[in-house]
Amino acid sequence: MRVSGSRKWLEKIPMVLWLTVLWVLFWGDLSLANVLAGALIGLFVMTVMPMPRIGFEGRVSFIGTAILLGKFAVDVLLASVQVARQALRFGHDPHGAVIRVPLRSHSDLYLTLTAVLCSLVPGSIIVEAHRLSGTLYVHVLDVPAAGGIAKAKADVLAQERRVLYALATDADIAEAGLPPRPWKRGRTDGPDPTTAVGPSGPAGDDQAVTR
Amino acid sequence: MLQLLALHLLAAVAAPAIMRRFGRKGFLPLALVPGSAAVWAVVNTGAVVDGRGPTLDVSWIPALDMSLSFRLDVLSWLMVILVGGVGAIVLGYCAWYFASGAKFLGRFAGVFVAFAGAMLGLVTTDNTLVLYVFWELTTVFSYLLIGHYFDRKGARRAAMQAIIVTTLGGLAMLFGFLILGEAEGGSYTISELIAAPPAGGGLVTAAIVLVLVGAISKSALVPFHFWLPGAMAAPTPVSAYLHAAAMVKAGVYLVARFAPGFAETPVWQWMILLTGGATMILGGYRALRQHDLKLLLAFGTVSQLGFLILLVGQADRAVALAGLALIGAHAMFKAALFLTVGVIDAAAGTRDLRQLSGLAKHLPWATVPGVLAAFSMVGLPPFAGYVGKEAALEALVHLDDPMSVAVLVVVVIGSILTFAYGMRFLWGAFARKKGVPDTSVDKEATGLYVAPNVLAFAGLFAGLFPVAGETLLAPYADTYPQGEPGHLTLWGGFGIPLLLTGVIIVAGLLLMLGRTAIERAQELVSVGPDADRTYRGTMRRLDSISVAVTSITQRGSLPVYLGLILLTTVVMIWTSAYAGGLRIGALKPWDYPVQAGVAVVIAVAAFLTARARRRLKAVVLLGITGYGVVLLFALQGAPDLALTQALVETITLVVFILVLRRLPAYFSNRPLKASRWWRAILATIVGVTVTFVALVIPNARVTDTIAELFPEEAYNFGYGRNIVNVTLVDIRAWDTMGEISVLLVAATGVASLVFLRARAGRVERIRDHDMDRGSVWASDSPGDDALVRRSRTQPVRSTRNRRWISAGVALAPHRRSVIFEVATRLIFHTMLVFAVYLLFAGHNSPGGGFVAGLVAGIALTVRYLAGGRYELGEAAPVLPGLLLGSGLFLSAGAGAVPLAFGGVVLQSAVIDFHLGYLGDVHLVTTLFFDIGVFLVVVGLMLDILRSLGAEVDRQGEAEGRAAPDVAHDSPRSTADDAQPLEDALAGGGPR
Repeated sequence: MRVSGSRKWLEKIPMVLWLTVLWVLFWGDLSLANVLAGALIGLFVMTVMPMPRIGFEGRVSFIGTAILLGKFAVDVLLASVQVARQALRFGHDPHGAVIRVPLRSHSDLYLTLTAVLCSLVPGSIIVEAHRLSGTLYVHVLDVPAAGGIAKAKADVLAQERRVLYALATDADIAEAGLPPRPWKRGRTDGPDPTTAVGPSGPAGDDQAVTR
Repeated sequence: MLQLLALHLLAAVAAPAIMRRFGRKGFLPLALVPGSAAVWAVVNTGAVVDGRGPTLDVSWIPALDMSLSFRLDVLSWLMVILVGGVGAIVLGYCAWYFASGAKFLGRFAGVFVAFAGAMLGLVTTDNTLVLYVFWELTTVFSYLLIGHYFDRKGARRAAMQAIIVTTLGGLAMLFGFLILGEAEGGSYTISELIAAPPAGGGLVTAAIVLVLVGAISKSALVPFHFWLPGAMAAPTPVSAYLHAAAMVKAGVYLVARFAPGFAETPVWQWMILLTGGATMILGGYRALRQHDLKLLLAFGTVSQLGFLILLVGQADRAVALAGLALIGAHAMFKAALFLTVGVIDAAAGTRDLRQLSGLAKHLPWATVPGVLAAFSMVGLPPFAGYVGKEAALEALVHLDDPMSVAVLVVVVIGSILTFAYGMRFLWGAFARKKGVPDTSVDKEATGLYVAPNVLAFAGLFAGLFPVAGETLLAPYADTYPQGEPGHLTLWGGFGIPLLLTGVIIVAGLLLMLGRTAIERAQELVSVGPDADRTYRGTMRRLDSISVAVTSITQRGSLPVYLGLILLTTVVMIWTSAYAGGLRIGALKPWDYPVQAGVAVVIAVAAFLTARARRRLKAVVLLGITGYGVVLLFALQGAPDLALTQALVETITLVVFILVLRRLPAYFSNRPLKASRWWRAILATIVGVTVTFVALVIPNARVTDTIAELFPEEAYNFGYGRNIVNVTLVDIRAWDTMGEISVLLVAATGVASLVFLRARAGRVERIRDHDMDRGSVWASDSPGDDALVRRSRTQPVRSTRNRRWISAGVALAPHRRSVIFEVATRLIFHTMLVFAVYLLFAGHNSPGGGFVAGLVAGIALTVRYLAGGRYELGEAAPVLPGLLLGSGLFLSAGAGAVPLAFGGVVLQSAVIDFHLGYLGDVHLVTTLFFDIGVFLVVVGLMLDILRSLGAEVDRQGEAEGRAAPDVAHDSPRSTADDAQPLEDALAGGGPR
């Protein structure tokens, strides 16, 4: 498949933008010279040490991103307190488990972001990911504290949903079996939100390995 | 003068390219380079004879009295013409001598021209130290030329022998020069030394002996004569140039140069007589029995060199004039003879005179120069050799002191031998011999015959016009201290000299006729100790002594080395503490209480590290101590140090783990209980000592700290606010230079230990990966948890399993991690931009080339860990040597640039300029130095990843097993090592 030169350049734009922002932030000084230098250095680095071509076909939603980050911050805060409390409770033996969560999206990128965000929240960590089936294996520090296996699994899927709402295209969201973004539902006629939210499979499907 | 030397240097550097471009005909343009030196000398002839030759004096290292002073007087003029003229002719000869497809001609031509340049400098400089430098340069280049056929053992051995013998003499000569320079009234300028030799005394006598040792080793005089015949392993043009005309003449030149000042000293006279006389006779005697024409000439050269030194080493003007004339004559006839032998060798395929027959008929144009040159050598009129020898006899006959009589006797005996072996050469090379069929000869290119004929006819013409030689050479001979000026003439009238010549010819012919008997006698009688055998014996003894010393001092036991080093540290510190009355002053426990907490963590981790039985555990615990130090730096308000330490710690961890993959999982059990206690005691003592030092040092200061000056100085002279970085690139830039050089050496060392095959191989790219030959990091039995990542047949959608990194597919499926791959893709360029930022920002805020290099190195490490060795090749498709080399070059080059603007090395400057709307640019030149550091660090990282990572992987795959998995190894599988499980089962528990 031959790709035209302009297409090739267009694909680089998001990364160059990100590197430019980063450059300006590093210097802490927003000036024309810094923006230009950042863009040039970003382009230079990407040209001299290229990675395989891979397009970003998502669509960034600012509301979705804000929700994703806000919820993540709250999660981290709450979970930190929770884990700290568990660590300081003597005599309490946390009941850990590795649970398997088949994700609904079909993209390596969303899988990775979901996994990374889950890992960053204290108390849960991704021990394994299967790329072909899009499955995450999540270790939960204390199942009762996480609200049971079903809740832990639902939390991971909710995390994925927020990632999709922040970055994915409407088509991707629909393909994952999720309703369109709630704040856009008025404009697009999507499926009824109440039926699709939540874990897709029956609860008995959860396979938990308790230790 | 300097231009000529620079021309030689440039030509030497460009020679490989020229030879690649033109093939063997490339020798012809290169011949112009030494030729230009000869032309320069010829053009200056008039001025030189009048004593107004060109001079040059450039101060180089005044502190060592080393200056680039050159001058062209009559002796230098003669030598420049020989070195340049013969050099040009021999280079031209090379264009036909070598086969057109011969290999390594580029290197040969380059070294040859460089040698000519070194020789040119040697004979024209007026500074003893610079002369020594050129002297050793000729030694090194001749080593390379003798060893040209490096695949032959004989050539390698001969080259080694030559360099050892001549370097030995060179070092002796250097000592002599140093004494002459430092002695009362001494000097490092040759002309001053000759004009006013330092007053006598034991020291000066020793200096004379040492300088003469240098001369006689270079000119292959007894007892160093054996290296010259060995050096005949070199290609024939090298023999003709180095071992006839040029390098061996360096010794003769040195004697001639110093004789006007020192020839009257008794020690000089005795050494010249004994070594020169013995050599002349021994060389001639040995030449009588050689069967190889080249060896015959080699021994003849040894003999002639003795003769020359004997003459130019005398104090008498007439003898010296004869010696100078013979230097010129010898260069022409001996080079011509060697080149003739080269022609014979090429045409007939042999140099053995027992096999050659009838060449006079088949190779007429080799016979002509051979005969002419040999006649000149044996001293037949009207050749140059005859003129010189007649003048020598004439002059010696008129002197009646005992020394001169002895010299005369030696010269006559030597000349008889010379006549005999000269005739034997002609007979052996060209005559038709009874019982030997005519040698069949190949047709050789006409060009091959040019050089020997030019040289041989030059000898004839020089002999036909002796007055010209006398006019040209007399000015130097007249600087000798004693006697009447001599004359060069073809006909000196009837007298004793003519009679002696007759005796020489008759006796020589008799020896020639009785050659078979003499050969046989020589085989039966061995004369004195064999110098060659003595040399080999000495070298063997040296070798065995060094082996013995090494086996005593280098036991190969790491604990012993470390123990000795630590014990020495402890003993020295406590000795000085006791002697110097060190005391611990006022103490403050901490600045912030949290420091105590960090210290406790570090201490506990350190203790557990020492207790750890598992290697990986020890490494991780060690990492904790390192990161603890990071915290301490950060708490102390040193973000720069904290950043650097954190990065170094990270990289150390990675390197450790790369290495650990090939080591057993557990430390060995070998140390016994008792030795373990000793180690613990030593460790405790060292710990206490270091703590003591840390407590003493803050109170041991006796003067104000210079650190207080740093902030201001760093800004005023280094133009930066980040003191740490300015210290690295400006204030202590020399240290940094040394350190990056050490880094480079270390990287090369690591790589050469790991790379068993050539290190400069190519970078492995993903396109080289053959899917059928197995994947990277595949192992026979992956753990149960690895099965999860095995690919199953499942519907794959376009957005799944995409190619996030270049070479992920080369990995074994169960080694791949989608999270790792995607994350790598997302952060790789970000890390690089961060590295660039650190590089540019370093001068004023935390950062700098070193840190930036570490960040870029970690970015590469991430690529390697995520995608294996093909990914590394894709991420950095360059050889680390390129990065290391260009980094060091950039740093050193940036350091040298200020010299061009009248600054000092590594001085920094600031360049400000305006870019309109974009604002001002403030560029400090040390940035380029820092970029060099950056490249070296990245190169080091790449080298480590390539050797300890990729190459170890490759070797493992080639052996059919993947590198063991650190995280999954089982205690049972670590065969030869500790067996903690069994120990535990036996009830002993971990010890």
